[in-house]
Amino acid sequence: MMLARVADSLYWIGRYVERAEHMCRLSDVMLNATLDRSEAATQVARIALHAVGDRNPAKALAPYQSALALTLDRSDRGSIFSSIAHARENARQVRDQITTETWERLNLIYLRMNNPGARKAFNDGSQLFLHDIIADLHLFKGAGDATMSHGEGWSFLQLGMYLERAQLIGSLLEVVFGERRRRRALADHFALTSVLRMSCALEPYLRVYTAEVQPRFILNFLMLDEDFPRSIRFCTHQIETHLAAITRHAGLSGNAGPERLAGRLKARLHFADMDELEAQGASAFLKTVLDECWDIHLSLYDAFVAYPLEDRLPA
Amino acid sequence: MGGIEAVVSVNRADLAADLTGPAIPYDEMLTADGGVHPHYAALDARLATLTPEELAERQRTQERFFLLQGITFTVYGAESSTERIIPSDILPRIIPGAEWARVEAGLVQRLKALNMFLADIYSEQQILLDGVVPRELVLQAPSYRREMQNLYVPHKAYANVCGSDLIRQPNGEFAVLEDNLRVPSGVSYMLANREASRRVFPGTFRSAGVRAIDRYPDLLLSTLKSMAGNWRPNPQVVVLTPGVYNSAYYEHAYLARLMGAPLVEGRDLVVHDNMVYMRTTTGLRRIDVIYRRVDDDFIDPLTFRRDSSLGAAGLFNAYRAGNVMICNAPGTGVADDKAVYAYVPEIIRYYLNEDAILPNIETFLCREPAQLSHVLANLDKLVVKAVGASGGYGMLVGPHSTKAEQAEFADALTANPENYIAQPTIQLSTAPCLIDSAVEPRHVDLRPFILCGEKIVVTPGALTRVALRKGSLVVNSSQGGGSKDTWVLSETKGDAR
Repeated sequence: MMLARVADSLYWIGRYVERAEHMCRLSDVMLNATLDRSEAATQVARIALHAVGDRNPAKALAPYQSALALTLDRSDRGSIFSSIAHARENARQVRDQITTETWERLNLIYLRMNNPGARKAFNDGSQLFLHDIIADLHLFKGAGDATMSHGEGWSFLQLGMYLERAQLIGSLLEVVFGERRRRRALADHFALTSVLRMSCALEPYLRVYTAEVQPRFILNFLMLDEDFPRSIRFCTHQIETHLAAITRHAGLSGNAGPERLAGRLKARLHFADMDELEAQGASAFLKTVLDECWDIHLSLYDAFVAYPLEDRLPA
Repeated sequence: MGGIEAVVSVNRADLAADLTGPAIPYDEMLTADGGVHPHYAALDARLATLTPEELAERQRTQERFFLLQGITFTVYGAESSTERIIPSDILPRIIPGAEWARVEAGLVQRLKALNMFLADIYSEQQILLDGVVPRELVLQAPSYRREMQNLYVPHKAYANVCGSDLIRQPNGEFAVLEDNLRVPSGVSYMLANREASRRVFPGTFRSAGVRAIDRYPDLLLSTLKSMAGNWRPNPQVVVLTPGVYNSAYYEHAYLARLMGAPLVEGRDLVVHDNMVYMRTTTGLRRIDVIYRRVDDDFIDPLTFRRDSSLGAAGLFNAYRAGNVMICNAPGTGVADDKAVYAYVPEIIRYYLNEDAILPNIETFLCREPAQLSHVLANLDKLVVKAVGASGGYGMLVGPHSTKAEQAEFADALTANPENYIAQPTIQLSTAPCLIDSAVEPRHVDLRPFILCGEKIVVTPGALTRVALRKGSLVVNSSQGGGSKDTWVLSETKGDAR
């Protein structure tokens, strides 16, 4: 049993933290592209910007400025700063629910980014700056894992994280392999490895597929790999597990609302066939995945957070 | 390591010369002849071994601890908001055991009498009939709640959490400056200061025999539970906060966390059939006791202020029906009213037939024509306070005021005398504080916390508030005040040998 508002906040901490981490990787890859003035570098910057929903072509030509804005722009609700600030604001509202160890990690990242010297620190060593944020976000997740009770609140936090991750990876794959790309497949080695870097998947990918970097393998790995924690299949498995835990805590019967949707999504990825996918084009499949993630989000609210009061009043 | 000059010494000569006031203030550490009170000897010896750099380093460590924990208050600006820590001084204020025993007895006596006063005011009003306290003074006070009349309150404990402000007078005696019976705050700073100072002076702390204060959350919880009576086993206690934008939000979350009670906001509450519920992930859950950190005016828009969204509609009716306890009870403010304050010694005598152990500060009620003319004639010497205001606002400090300010207050006093009281300029005691790597005296007060449910418990510790500006007497955090840890020594230790 926990307050609906608290569950909501924990869920959003998970989402914002995951979003911040993903944006850090996109910024980092964009910065990497500034070192190289090739066509492929611009293409990579464009992919990263499309993945965050920014289709302005001018920005891809100024990757450093774009990365700086994506990191520290306070007025942009999608920037890393905003995500961290929102995560921390939510954490402050449920300060009694998360352990001091976990809170301290998140607060520290926020204080660093909110510091007037943050812009200078970014200019002095932008990749180090981003690297440190990612490392601290990992510490946050680790501190949570090691010190928080793995009960209902924990499940809401994890649920937010994995739903966000599934959606972020899904959007990235849609940009790379979606409808717009079908005619002109991404072939450049630098661009392909950059896509893997954006998903933090380069090293795990190499261990499975060796240095043979091919679009088909990347799609297979990021979508359907069973063990890689950023594959959509892995995420849907986690989403289903944590939803089942929440339903159990709530004393509700299974197969209701969000749990049914999560089970169906998990099965969809579990039994997906790569050849079939390629024949149909990945785009339709990715769209289904993203739509169903959104449906899970909505039904989660209906079931646990914003339910109609009339149904729950004592007789 | 530097020579002897580099070692911190307490600046003894400055003490009397710098601080102008009606009397030389009592110093917590130094005796009048320049020696050190025995209970401060160990700290004095420890300080003599530290260089200014080492002390400054410890101060920085402490500030970092507060910042990391998020023990901050937020200053909202137009563009962005900044968070500041409330300055916390690393040098503890030390109170010997015997002295504390007297303070404790005085606080228990006072809260007992004030709760009896509230029980009387909200039922028979015998004290008003007997003419001990003027009827209109109580019934016309803005903090008097007619809605509370003839309501059953378990143990007649109206004020469950009390934080009184004490000062030490030049003669070394503690006196009560103010009783806070509404929603007193600061207890989290007491606990956080302690956590920090144990790290800064571990050796001195260990050997001093400091009494523990860490049971406060647990005592608070049992006090709150005792208010639920025994009509429901294992009562559900919650902390009600106005929300994350309140300056004391850190404290609300801190207490909720340490008590293991949900921290709720008004929007989490639902009142149905005079029962109070909170919205949880598993549906609605009944609440038995609300430790509210929201002012009376805002707890129920149906009963009090209509424009408030901080409470829950129907909450007060649920309280009247006896289905939920609100702690502190609404309407306790009438007993810490600045005008009623003047009558507290009489109130103690009336109900307990005892003399007050802790004296009041002499207070002139401007509503009495004779006292008003005395106040008007002495505006340059007195401190004039508006009855309804708090936090150091709406005040005239005579000796530090201009003629124009005095004239302005004279007009206000004549126009609205019942709105004001006046007190002589009080001299707060001083305690050593670390200011820019040097140890200097600064004025301090003392806010102990008293709990009252089935029984009254005083936590052996307090928040010591510090006026960080040299010579200033204003300790409020909204006006440049800080705080420091308060060590209450066990009775056998630290008393004069």
